[in-house]
Amino acid sequence: MLRLQNVSLVRDSKFILKNINLTFNEKEVHVIMGPNGAGKSSLAYVIMGLEGYKPTEGRIFLDDRDITEFKVDERAKLGIHLMWQEPVRFRGLTVRQYLTLGGKMKVSQSELEEVLHLVGLSPSLYLNRMVDDLLSGGERKRVELASILLLRPKFAIMDEPDSGIDVLSLGMIKAVAQRIIQQGGSLVMITHREEMVSIANVAHVLCDGRIIESGSPEKVMRYYKIFCDVCDHTNVPAKE
Amino acid sequence: MRVDVDRRTEFEALVKAYEKAGGDVSKFLDRRIASIIISGDKVVGVNNVPGVELVPHTIEHGVHAKMIIKKGTKLSFPIHVCTGYLQRDGYQKVIFDIVVEEDAEAHFVAHCVFPWTEQFTHDALMNVVIKKNAKMSYSDEHYHSEAGTVNLITVSRVVVEEDGLYVNRFALTKTRVGKMRLDFSVALKDHAVADILARVRASGNDEVDIHEKVDLVGVESRAMLSTIVVALDKAKARVVNEAYGRGEHSKGHVKCEEISKGSDVLVSTVPILKVFNDKAELTHEASIGRVNAKQLETLMSKGLSEDEATELIIKGLLG
Repeated sequence: MLRLQNVSLVRDSKFILKNINLTFNEKEVHVIMGPNGAGKSSLAYVIMGLEGYKPTEGRIFLDDRDITEFKVDERAKLGIHLMWQEPVRFRGLTVRQYLTLGGKMKVSQSELEEVLHLVGLSPSLYLNRMVDDLLSGGERKRVELASILLLRPKFAIMDEPDSGIDVLSLGMIKAVAQRIIQQGGSLVMITHREEMVSIANVAHVLCDGRIIESGSPEKVMRYYKIFCDVCDHTNVPAKE
Repeated sequence: MRVDVDRRTEFEALVKAYEKAGGDVSKFLDRRIASIIISGDKVVGVNNVPGVELVPHTIEHGVHAKMIIKKGTKLSFPIHVCTGYLQRDGYQKVIFDIVVEEDAEAHFVAHCVFPWTEQFTHDALMNVVIKKNAKMSYSDEHYHSEAGTVNLITVSRVVVEEDGLYVNRFALTKTRVGKMRLDFSVALKDHAVADILARVRASGNDEVDIHEKVDLVGVESRAMLSTIVVALDKAKARVVNEAYGRGEHSKGHVKCEEISKGSDVLVSTVPILKVFNDKAELTHEASIGRVNAKQLETLMSKGLSEDEATELIIKGLLG
């Protein structure tokens, strides 16, 4: 179980996140929606513990263990992993090297092939391809989804896995999410797509750094359509 | 390969060092493959094949080899060149005069192996002429001792004639460098192309000085000069990339990437671009500094420590 208790983040004297209280139970899928600049990615980075995203206030607990001071790799070792909205490219590393972390992670050939099939990539075509600029944005995202799956996360943070991926592939992302749950993990997915909300147990709306609505996906979607779709409130994006 | 009987012990020692460094010794024993092995100031073995003339002779402290690829020759196998030095101290001078005649194609795979050297200087001069419509690639991999005291001087003077192609890949990434000066100078005639990439990993108190220069003399000549240096610990690296656009519609791009890790590392890059023809086009890109933070965090978010992540990123960069 992952818990955020009164988490706030201030950067450049501006509140990016304010008093976030969230509890992610085992085998739960949470979806976070919200306009651009609401703080969704910042929330993902705070949970992952990236540099510059240490909460200004509040604590983060994993299974009642306070991990607020833990660095990104320490959190990863506990099973928290982030799928980036725009995964970075690596010149000179093949998909195989990337997925196995340069051979540090022991993964069988059949397991590699199985996850690549699941994310819609042919192993024979992709395992020896470079994770560089020659991969399209959609291909790079699929590689990232495969990577997250192989890590068998206890808690996965998926930052807009559906952006830059065609509508027909949304089912694949849902399959990945379901696999993470089957493996005993839980996840939070940041999304703008209404279609993705259906996979959630719990949904939230984040606006201006605050959780303004939480509950069942149906309830939150209703709220979002009534209040957020027509809202002219403008969030000021945080500086990266 | 014909191995000098008196040099058999030296050949075997060099072969062992060569294999340890990752070389494939079977290439030297295959009579279909042109090859030459130099140890210190001796030619340990040489093998010629039709269309290739490798003519070495000893000079003071080293070997001078003339290598001619005859007109129209297209080799099925690369030419293998092994230059070694098996003593601890000394000086080795190597001069290669390479001519790739018209319409010929030659690929060289070269290894320089200095496994036990301490106070040692390797001084190499390569004069290359690539004739009209000929192609040549030269892959040069170095393995130095871990003492970090090798002094490496490599100078290449290359002329690529009309429609010719020259590709060079230099790598010193698996062992300490010591002190090195890499000096490339390439002149390109009409429609000639050059593609040069140097990759170096410097650590300890290694010193790296790379100077690459291309003169785009000919019409529609094209060149790409790339350098990747990873400097760790207290290493110093200085890279100068020069490009001169003289020919109409000539195009050149110079690229330098230097990654530093360590509080005492000193790295610098200087691009020099000069256009003498208003239809020539030169561009450059350079990045210098620590490992890309997002790459680092991506790998750390998968459970690698900062050092492990850095090592993997560097491994990818250096190939």
